[in-house]
Amino acid sequence: MSTKLDDALRRTFLAIADVLIPEAEGMPMASQVGVGGEILDRMLALRPDLREAFLRGLRAAAGKPPAAAAETLNRDDPAALGAIGLVASAGYYMSAQVRELIGYPGQESRPADPDATPEYVANGMLQQVIDRGPIFKPTPK
Amino acid sequence: MANIKKGAKVADVLIIGAGASGSVAAKHLAEAGIDVVCLEQGPKVDNSEFWGDKPEWELMAQKRWHPNPNVRDLENDYPVDTSESDVNPLMYNAVGGSTILYAAHWQRFMPSDFRVKTLDGVADDWPFTYEDLEPFYDAMDIEMGVSGLGGDPAYPPGKAPPLPPLPIGKIGMKAAEGMNKLGWHWWPGPNAIPSRPYDGRNQCVRRGTCLTGCADRAKASTDHTHWPAALVHGATLITGARVREITVNAEGLATGAIYIDRNGREREQRAEVVIVCCNGVGTPRLLQLSKSARFPDGLANSSGLVGKNLMMHPYAAVSGYFDEPLESWLGPAGQTIQSMQFYETDATRGFVRGAKWQVMPSGGPLGMRAAYGGKPLEEAWGANLHRNTRKVFGRAFEWGIIAEDLPDETNQVVLDAKLCDSDGIPSPKLIYKNSDNTKRLIDFHLERAKEATLAAGAVDMSVTPLMRDCGWHLMGTARMGVDPERSVVDQWGRAHDVPNLYVYDGSVFVTSSGFNPTGTICAIALRSVKHLIAQRRNQKVAA
Repeated sequence: MSTKLDDALRRTFLAIADVLIPEAEGMPMASQVGVGGEILDRMLALRPDLREAFLRGLRAAAGKPPAAAAETLNRDDPAALGAIGLVASAGYYMSAQVRELIGYPGQESRPADPDATPEYVANGMLQQVIDRGPIFKPTPK
Repeated sequence: MANIKKGAKVADVLIIGAGASGSVAAKHLAEAGIDVVCLEQGPKVDNSEFWGDKPEWELMAQKRWHPNPNVRDLENDYPVDTSESDVNPLMYNAVGGSTILYAAHWQRFMPSDFRVKTLDGVADDWPFTYEDLEPFYDAMDIEMGVSGLGGDPAYPPGKAPPLPPLPIGKIGMKAAEGMNKLGWHWWPGPNAIPSRPYDGRNQCVRRGTCLTGCADRAKASTDHTHWPAALVHGATLITGARVREITVNAEGLATGAIYIDRNGREREQRAEVVIVCCNGVGTPRLLQLSKSARFPDGLANSSGLVGKNLMMHPYAAVSGYFDEPLESWLGPAGQTIQSMQFYETDATRGFVRGAKWQVMPSGGPLGMRAAYGGKPLEEAWGANLHRNTRKVFGRAFEWGIIAEDLPDETNQVVLDAKLCDSDGIPSPKLIYKNSDNTKRLIDFHLERAKEATLAAGAVDMSVTPLMRDCGWHLMGTARMGVDPERSVVDQWGRAHDVPNLYVYDGSVFVTSSGFNPTGTICAIALRSVKHLIAQRRNQKVAA
């Protein structure tokens, strides 16, 4: 069974996604970074648990003004709006363009030199803690 | 009827559960030449299954690798009824158990934790002291490959961890600056995450995804730290084996366990000694399931305390937001720094005991959106989404507060009357409420954490008074002690009622401390299994 959405549902998704994630504050809107393309199919394939609420929301919103439809869903079916919003925002924040704009390289590999002297040792910050002395209660006799 | 092969081998020792304590027991028993079989209901996890090194990480963290079994909803998990609990229990069922998903904060208890009755007049003292356990803490530091810095003034002088500390990053430095302004304790946090390659594991690359499994095979989960050696030395590990009952003979001695395999077949594994290592929820569940004519109230339950005194460490937090970028997604996660400034009891505060604090990274931009569910559309979405991300993401850290909850018999694990796992075995139900002492403790610590956050230079902050998904630490439900009327097992984990039945997991804790417990669970398991090995010729077994 195909897990892909038809074009009408995809258009409804993009319209609501642009309400939730508009062009503002120097950031692009959701549709400008491709959240309705292959990434959408991949999200739904990876998270089949979202599919029922996601589709329910899109079907309820079909043919309605997207802003009003989003408000109605948020009030009457928050699980559906939540599923649509999660899929939209997950795709959005996976976009290389968006990550660059918010200064996020992703959960990158950045190993540190284990033999380097920590800054808090070199600058004396930790010594202040040591100088304040022990803070534990010993085992009572 | 269980499928019992005639002439099937009787193991010297059967371990139920391949998590932290079961792994430690299996390795040391096998190395001592003892024939050990371990039954684990979950599978073996491969590091390539984790998503931390892939862009979809945050999406998958919210379901497949969520620490709440009720959210994951996998066949190898059992559902838990939490309708009467303030806190959700968190765990993972697989080889390595919850160390697959834990943050690897490798803590020791402080000396006072073992003498709460003597010092504070509440709960009970443990049957041993910090000094008794210290050699086993030292040994576990080496077995796990702990990274940290010796000399923490919150502890008695002792051996330093075997590996140098991991970087504390900009968030740790920012938090430490605030603590020094106030003159409060902080220390780089010890983590069971190697800062350089160690015993077959890779150096931590600071990806910061420890809580959803380490894709880089760095974090010390016991599937890597203990099972390879256990298997080399002849231990038998059976995965997909869900135990429904520990069996006993007419003399009241344990004879093994009946389990259900992934083909739905009942099987029996016999053994001379049985060690239960199923965590503070799974262990009392199994003991309660193991009813018989001789043990009508469940196995090892003459005290009536199996399942009682559940402790789960209520968790509160203060998140600070800063003007400057702090790279607050950068690992380890893992802890950067910790504080025990307010750990010990001070009678002037209006409560007893205290809490450990720690700073951890805050993850990626999607996870930070989780708190917006159910809010008005214009607050959670639209231009506000961009403003909130810009304000918070990468510019925040959290002081997390692990509150010590004291044992209370009304906080308990019972068998649920309706809910079952995928094999039809009754699920556990948790009944758990925060005490007034805990509430006062959390209120005090939140106020101090706010002061620490402001001292660090935060321009704004938010407060989480109690995180519902915080029950990582499952303790107290088969407590140890000297008196069989007031405890379930002795100081070696041996059931008072069944001399060849042992419990090694966090169920045996007398009090909870305010620390992440896995280091202590493993140290106690090591102490107990060393004693079992040394005393094996005196061990009573079923004929």
